[in-house]
Amino acid sequence: MTLSLHPLVILLIFPGGLFLILAGLAYEYVDRKLVARFQNRIGPRWFQPLADLVKLLSKEEIVPQGVQRGLFYLLPLFALASALTAALYVPMVGLKPAYTFQGDLIVTIYLLSVLTLSMGLAGASTVDRFALVGATRTLTQLFSYEAPFMLALLGPAIAAQSWQIGNINEFAGQNLWMLVAQPIGFLVALVGLMGKLELPPFDAPEAETEIVAGALTEYSGRGLALFRLGKDIELVIGLTLVAAFYLGGLHSPFDFILKTLGLLLAVALMQTLFARLRIDQVVGLWWRIGTILAVIQLIAIIAGRYLGTLIF
Amino acid sequence: MSGERFVIPIGPQHPALKEPSHFEIFVDGEQVTGATLRLGYVHRGIEKGAEQRTWTQNLYLMERICGICSHVHALAFAQGVEALAGVQAPPRARAIRQVIAELERLHSHLLWLGVAAHEAGFDALFMYSWRDREVVMDLLELVSGNRVNYSANLLGGVKFDITAEQKVRILDGLNFIEERVHYYLGVVNTDETFLGRTRGVGLLSREEAERLGAVGPTARASGVTRDVRVDAPYAAYSEFPVKMVVSQQGDLQARFVVRLDECFESIRVIREILNNMPESELVVRMPRRIPAGEVVSRVEAPRGELFYFIVSGGGDKPERVKVRTPSLANWGTVLATAPGHKLADIPMLVAGIDPCFSCNDR
Repeated sequence: MTLSLHPLVILLIFPGGLFLILAGLAYEYVDRKLVARFQNRIGPRWFQPLADLVKLLSKEEIVPQGVQRGLFYLLPLFALASALTAALYVPMVGLKPAYTFQGDLIVTIYLLSVLTLSMGLAGASTVDRFALVGATRTLTQLFSYEAPFMLALLGPAIAAQSWQIGNINEFAGQNLWMLVAQPIGFLVALVGLMGKLELPPFDAPEAETEIVAGALTEYSGRGLALFRLGKDIELVIGLTLVAAFYLGGLHSPFDFILKTLGLLLAVALMQTLFARLRIDQVVGLWWRIGTILAVIQLIAIIAGRYLGTLIF
Repeated sequence: MSGERFVIPIGPQHPALKEPSHFEIFVDGEQVTGATLRLGYVHRGIEKGAEQRTWTQNLYLMERICGICSHVHALAFAQGVEALAGVQAPPRARAIRQVIAELERLHSHLLWLGVAAHEAGFDALFMYSWRDREVVMDLLELVSGNRVNYSANLLGGVKFDITAEQKVRILDGLNFIEERVHYYLGVVNTDETFLGRTRGVGLLSREEAERLGAVGPTARASGVTRDVRVDAPYAAYSEFPVKMVVSQQGDLQARFVVRLDECFESIRVIREILNNMPESELVVRMPRRIPAGEVVSRVEAPRGELFYFIVSGGGDKPERVKVRTPSLANWGTVLATAPGHKLADIPMLVAGIDPCFSCNDR
C-alpha cells in the first residue's frame, strides 16, 4: 500500500468509491459537452450525468421474461465492482496508486475486460433479439480490441522494464514523453481505448439506429444505472492509463486534470469526425492493422534497446 | 442449424424509424437472408374523409397527409380539381407554386441528409445539415407564415404573393444553402468512413428499378430517366424547366449524390423564377360544384412521383380521391436488395429511399 490512508477510506471515499463515481460523472459531462459543442449543439449542464444516475436509480427495474434472474441482478454489480477495483492500481488524481504489486498492469487490464464481458453476458442471457445481436457485437469487439490495446500498453512497460503501473508512471515522468518516443503505440492505444469504451465510431455494439441499445436493451432502473456508471469509470481509468503511459506520467492533481482532459479532447474530436463503422469493418480494420502497428512498435522498442546496449 | 431463422423485428417501435412500420429481417448472424414489411400503422382514413368534405375543405386535408411534402399534395389536388373544372391558374400563381415546391424539395432533401447520416451513426453531419435546413424553414415561414403545411394553394391559384423584400431574403438564403450543399457533397464523396457505409451498398440495377416500379431519386440514382417535372410539366415547369439529375452508379452513395445535385437544380430554378416572375393576378374564380369527370394529376414530390386520381360526381364533394405516394412504389426496392447485406446496412437501405410512412399509409 503506497497511499497513507486507511484502507476503508481508499475503498469507499478517495480515490476509490465516492470520489471515483463523481469523477466518472464529471468526465461523462465533459465528454458529452465537448461532443455537443463540436456538433454545434449546446450540450448538457454540469449536473446532467448526476441527474441521469439519480433518475435511473429511482426508476422501477423491469425484469424481462426468459432471463436468468441471478445473472440479471449480479452482472451490473460485477461490472461496477471491477471498474472500481481497477482504479486502485492506477495513479488516480496524480497520486501514487493506492495498491501496487508486480504485474498489476495485467490485473488492471483484465478488470477492465471483466466490465465489457459482463455487458456481453448480460445481453446474451436474455431472449431479446436486439440484446443478442448486441452481445455478439460486444464480444466480437472485445476480441478485436484487447490484443492491440494490451500490446500498446506493453510498449511503455518494456521501455520502463516493469509490469507495475507505479513504476511505469515514474519512468514516464523522468524520460521523454512516450507520445514522442513511441508515436505508433500512442495511436494504437488511443484508438484501442475508444474501441474498448465503445465510443463512436466504434459503437457498433450499441448502435442505437440498428439494435436499439445493444446488450443493455433489456436493462432499466438500477441495473442500467450501474452499467452506465461502470462505463463512466472505465472512461476515467482508461484515460488515466493512457495519459500516465504516453503523456509523461501523472505526478500531481493538476498534471492529472490537464493531461486526462487533453486526452479527452482528442477522444471527443475523434468521436465527432467519423461515421459509425460496421462491426465487420471494425474487426477487419483493427484486428489486422492495429495489431500489426502495435507489433511494429514493439519490435522498434526492442530493437532500440538492443542497439542501445550495443552502443553504450 | 442453418435452417433456423432468426428474426429481428424493426418496428413498430424502433429508434431507426421516425414513423411506425413493421419490418421482419431474417438474419443468419449479421447476414440478412430475407425481409418482409407490414405497413398501415398510421392509416388515418384520409381518402374516405375526403369524400365527406367539400373541395375547399379537402385542400386543407390533403396537405396534412404528410408534413414534409405537404405542399405537393395540395398542389396535386388543386391541379386535378382545376383540370376537372376546365380552369387554369394564372401564370404568377403557377410560378409561386413552383417556388414553394422547390423550396420544399430543398428542405426535404436536407432533412433526409441529416436522417440518413444519423442512421449511419454520423451525428455531426446530422446536426450540421439540420442547422442549415433552418434557413429554408425560415424562408418558408417568411413567405407563408408557417414552417410546415404552408397552405399556399387555393383552388384556382395561390393565397399569397412573394414581395420584393421577401425575394431579397430568399435569394440571400439560397446563396448560403448553395455553399453548404457544396460542402455536404464533398463530405459524402470523400469521407472514408461514410463511404464505407454507402459505397456499393444497396446496389440496384436499372432493370431491377424499372421492374419494381421505383420512382424519384431512388430510380434516378439507378439510371432510370423518369421525372414528372420533365416528362409532364405542371405548375410553371414548362416556362422554367429543371434538368433531370441521373446517376448510373445505383448504390446508396449515388442516391446521396442525386439528391444533393437536385438541391442545386432547385436553387437555380428558384433564382430564375424570382428574377423573372410573371405579372398577373393570384387567383382565378372556381365554381363551387366541380363538373363530373375523372382526372389524373401527377407531380414530382421530393420522394418521387405523386399520383392523384380524382372523380367528381358533379357535386360540391368529391366522389373519390385516390392517392398513390412515391414511398409506396419504392418499398419493393428495399425488400429486393436487403438479402445479402449485413444487419447494420438495413437502416441505411430503408433511409436510402427516403421513406415517408405517413404518406403511404394516408
